[in-house]
Amino acid sequence: MAVAVEYYLLLSAAVFCTGVFGVLTRENALMFLISVELMLNSANINLVAFSHFYGNATGQVFSLFVMALAAAEVAVGLGIVLVLYRNFDEVDVRNATTMRW
Amino acid sequence: MVELPPLTPQILLGLTAIVLFGIDIIAPDTRKNGLLASVSAIGTVAAAATAVWFLAAGSGDYRFVQFDGALVVDALSLFFAFVVASVATLVVIGSYDYIEGEEHVSEYYSLVLLAATGMSLMAAANSLVTVFVALELASLPSYALVSFLKTDRGSVEAGLKYFLIGALSSAVMVYGISLVYATTGTLLLDDIAAEVAGNQFGGVLGLGILMLAGGFAFKTASVPFHFWAPEAYEGAPAPISAFLSSASKAAGFAVAFRVFTTAFPLDAVAAVAIDWSLLFAVLAVVTMTLGNFAAATQNEVKRMLAYSSIGHAGYVLMGLAALQSGAAEANAFVLGASMTHLLVYGFMNTGAFLFVALVEYWDVGRTFEDYNGLATRAPVACVAMTVFMFSLAGLPVGGGFLSKYLLFAGTVQAGFAWLAAIAAINSALSLYYYSRVVKAIWIEDPSDDLSLAGTPTGLYTAVVAAAVATVVLLVAFDPVAQTAVHAADVLFAL
Repeated sequence: MAVAVEYYLLLSAAVFCTGVFGVLTRENALMFLISVELMLNSANINLVAFSHFYGNATGQVFSLFVMALAAAEVAVGLGIVLVLYRNFDEVDVRNATTMRW
Repeated sequence: MVELPPLTPQILLGLTAIVLFGIDIIAPDTRKNGLLASVSAIGTVAAAATAVWFLAAGSGDYRFVQFDGALVVDALSLFFAFVVASVATLVVIGSYDYIEGEEHVSEYYSLVLLAATGMSLMAAANSLVTVFVALELASLPSYALVSFLKTDRGSVEAGLKYFLIGALSSAVMVYGISLVYATTGTLLLDDIAAEVAGNQFGGVLGLGILMLAGGFAFKTASVPFHFWAPEAYEGAPAPISAFLSSASKAAGFAVAFRVFTTAFPLDAVAAVAIDWSLLFAVLAVVTMTLGNFAAATQNEVKRMLAYSSIGHAGYVLMGLAALQSGAAEANAFVLGASMTHLLVYGFMNTGAFLFVALVEYWDVGRTFEDYNGLATRAPVACVAMTVFMFSLAGLPVGGGFLSKYLLFAGTVQAGFAWLAAIAAINSALSLYYYSRVVKAIWIEDPSDDLSLAGTPTGLYTAVVAAAVATVVLLVAFDPVAQTAVHAADVLFAL
């Protein structure tokens, strides 16, 4: 039963890196959102695992906060993706480039 | 006599946001821009006044611990509640003219007030949970506000870029929080400080601290998470640019000051993980140099102001960079100087962006050439803009001179003369691009067809009020600086 807590750290780091990879390589705004979601959930893995390890509920409660905020963030994000589609006729993040330095 | 709760400024801002939604529910179809703007202005003025009153009454000398330590009210949180609320006041007054005729006006004001609530809560957050929640409460309305002009491609693009980088950096930050929790087993700042000393998982802790710093760098538009700032400020409605570059930045610094001084005491952290003051010294140098050099090459006034805003984030970062263990007095002085600069910057930078809003209202254009000869048509606003520009550059026409002087002096006193020297060189360079604006509006001849339609009362009021505040801060600088240094003292005297 007992999985050593270090392995959770490794798992969450792997999920986090997957998310970062997705953020860096995907051009579709929706895939970008999904990748960010992976990164947030990797933090949740840590929080829940170490909450169990330390025997206090702080981490678990905070992971509920993180989930709620992730949902709120996606709601705002989808709204922005929607107006992006209406103005640029696609959801490719590389094409919104009217401003450049 | 009923005692007011210590969090009154934050509660007032939040209540005002809800009242604005209520007004919209009762009368969804009537035009009520004036009513909404007045209600918002009353709410923000009341919040700012309460914060000043609490500070004057000496509430800042104590730490009012709220909700089992999740929030704390002390001089720092009251100081930044005042900065946020006063910037929000100027912004809503200026917005009255700017968004006249747009749809969804009530949502606009409510989102501004909600973001202001989040920013003032950031200054009071005393646990990593509330830090994150307050930061998101400030960020989510800001994303929507930046892309408020739904049919304007620039605004949508700005909103997208702001959102993408914001989502990424908040994910990085929450992962950093989870790593800090993994090594310390608590999320309360005071308890973290107790666990940090001699912690055996220094590497993981250091990584967590780095990632937290990344989240704060996003909020303050510092390197390496500054990429959103020029685009977001340029594309957003100008009053929102003012709001983000002043209030949002101040709140980001407030929470960074509290987290790093309370939860990660420099001597303990440097022994087991990383020396974060060195990290901030590097970031400060890169941020101010990049901001100033990029600002000098711009053709558009709004984008120049955006980069200058990054440059100023670099100056303020010196307050964290110049901290050292065991020098409580010098630490409080330089951190207080940073806070003072943020307050003065709040007025002068908001004023400058609102002047840009005024010019956008007249539909004159965005580049320096388009500003040519504006002073012949709008002398009052141009005098105000001149005050803002010279004050931002650090010339003694506004409070910016004294706050910059105090900040540089504090940095030298803390033993970081090289840092202050780099900042002084940058500051001298900044005079070049600020004076370009002044030259354009006063010296160049206006083009023949330059005509300014209308005198927007709200924008004029806000610009002039900001200019008056900037000049008054030059004269009445002492009480502000003393309050800020005292607030830093309270922070260190835990």
